[in-house]
Amino acid sequence: MKLSFKQIAPFLNTGASTGSRLISYLGLGIGVLLLLCSMQMFININVLLKDRNPRTSGFDYISITKKITDQNVGQDNSFSAAEISALQSLPFIDDATPLIANKFVVSASGGPALPFTTDIFLEAIKTDFIDTIPPSFTWQPGQAMVPIIISSDYLELYNTVFAPSRDLPQISEGAMGALVMQLECTGVYGTQIFRGNIVALSDRINSVIVPQNFLEWANKNIANISNSNATRVYIKTTDANNVEFLNYLQENNYQVNKDKTKFGRVKQILQAVVSGLVGFAVLVILLAMMLFSFYLQLMIARSKDNLQLLLTLGYSPNWLSKTVAKRWIPMYVLIVGSSVLLVQLFQYFFIQQFLNGRDDLSPMIDWSVLITGAALLALCIGINYGLIRKLLHRL
Amino acid sequence: MQIQLQKIAPQYLEIEKTQHSDVWNKEVVFKKGERIQIVAPSGSGKSSLIHFLYLLRNEYTGQILFDGKNIATFSPEDKAKYRQQQVSIVFQDLRLFSQHSAAANIEIKKTLVPFSAAASLEEMAAQLGITKKMQQNAGICSYGEQQRIAIIRSLQQPFDFIVLDEPFSHLDENNSIKAMHLITTEAAKRNAGIILADLHKVPFFESDSTLFL
Repeated sequence: MKLSFKQIAPFLNTGASTGSRLISYLGLGIGVLLLLCSMQMFININVLLKDRNPRTSGFDYISITKKITDQNVGQDNSFSAAEISALQSLPFIDDATPLIANKFVVSASGGPALPFTTDIFLEAIKTDFIDTIPPSFTWQPGQAMVPIIISSDYLELYNTVFAPSRDLPQISEGAMGALVMQLECTGVYGTQIFRGNIVALSDRINSVIVPQNFLEWANKNIANISNSNATRVYIKTTDANNVEFLNYLQENNYQVNKDKTKFGRVKQILQAVVSGLVGFAVLVILLAMMLFSFYLQLMIARSKDNLQLLLTLGYSPNWLSKTVAKRWIPMYVLIVGSSVLLVQLFQYFFIQQFLNGRDDLSPMIDWSVLITGAALLALCIGINYGLIRKLLHRL
Repeated sequence: MQIQLQKIAPQYLEIEKTQHSDVWNKEVVFKKGERIQIVAPSGSGKSSLIHFLYLLRNEYTGQILFDGKNIATFSPEDKAKYRQQQVSIVFQDLRLFSQHSAAANIEIKKTLVPFSAAASLEEMAAQLGITKKMQQNAGICSYGEQQRIAIIRSLQQPFDFIVLDEPFSHLDENNSIKAMHLITTEAAKRNAGIILADLHKVPFFESDSTLFL
């Protein structure tokens, strides 16, 4: 007859403290279920709250500024080269570039076709951050014509608010290209007149954009300012709702357009809640395993005389350890397996009941949840065996 | 295969008590197949010797070699194998599972490493007259019945030596002779050595040599 637990079972007091044993099983099951559910929810949150705005390039472009507070008002709140480098080096930011602004006074007038004059601002940015760049968006020193790209929001504001209030003609997108405005640029070196021509509209950059070399030339030759720092920086990221990105902004007192990152803030809170649950679940698992280890110690203490006699009769301590430890493997498999199955059921019903129609969330639990379940099972079995072996070798 | 005692002596035993001993502080060899009787009055360390041979205690000076290997260096797994297959024992205090039946006490040993040529359990029980006691809890059997259970248990495994510590102390002469006969028959099947330690010389044990402790 092959040696098995069945032969030595009558000699072990395994029935001791059945109540505490069952409570430890329940605790372990609840802890594992909570941990795996929290993990799956964490993953679900990441998927559901990923930015969904249609982007042709697959990136989000967001402008950030330094928060103006009572403490820093009046100080230099521009971004230094080191701060921009720091942004560029972050793993969740693909690129960062400063938005250079005019350092001289600019006024624009529409001429006979558009009889109004207004002070405006000009900014320049690296061209690969601009969504629409026509071939005409270039400038050479000496060129009187300055190509301009404006935000499409500005055209809409002009047509819907500004023009009607001043009895000015509305302008279509097609007609914009024909419009030539006069740009009067005044600085320490006097005034220079340019002609501005709107060559494109941007859905991405919320500004009046001119070629970078023009603005650098004008800042130097009209305002006598070179290499000035920018007060706005545009960053390029694949996920505007990245929680690490939001945390970085908060830590450095940077601010962004809140609307762009609203999902990120919601995600931040939800993930914090879920992380708290994970911590609680780990605690529950640890307590359950501690309770079970007390049960094992009690069982071995109560069976001590019989176990010592078995060892005296020639039973191998290694065999006894493995055989006694193996007895609980089916229970661990049942507990962890049931938890994984329940998480899968929860995932399925969560999608069916609360996310009807959405196909971006998989009805299957994530592979990392399965691996965590398997790791927990291995950990339970390993700790169990280690403890039994230690107790038996002490006899 | 042999057991060598190389000048062993219990650490607690006064040196004077070892001077006239045939075993303590002497070079002694037990060969496989030999029958050795050890006569040991109370307090001479008889049970200590048995426990040293069975690796239950190690508070002795000198060395005990089994087949050339010092048994004090055995790992827990080596000890287990030694007890499973090389040395069997009948303890003076028997060491049965009192809450379990005679049959269960014997079976738990038999299952470990059975010796196929051994007489069956039923035959042994019949020889020693405890057939009717086999399903009774060992704890409620008489001491003599328990001794016979312990003897049968010791004969369930393969062994090169069987070590017996006052195995017939609670048996009458008739049952003692029957038990001795069973032991010598089973030892012969294994060509094993018998080391029997008792307070007095056991007349019905035909030993090859007698040592005084």
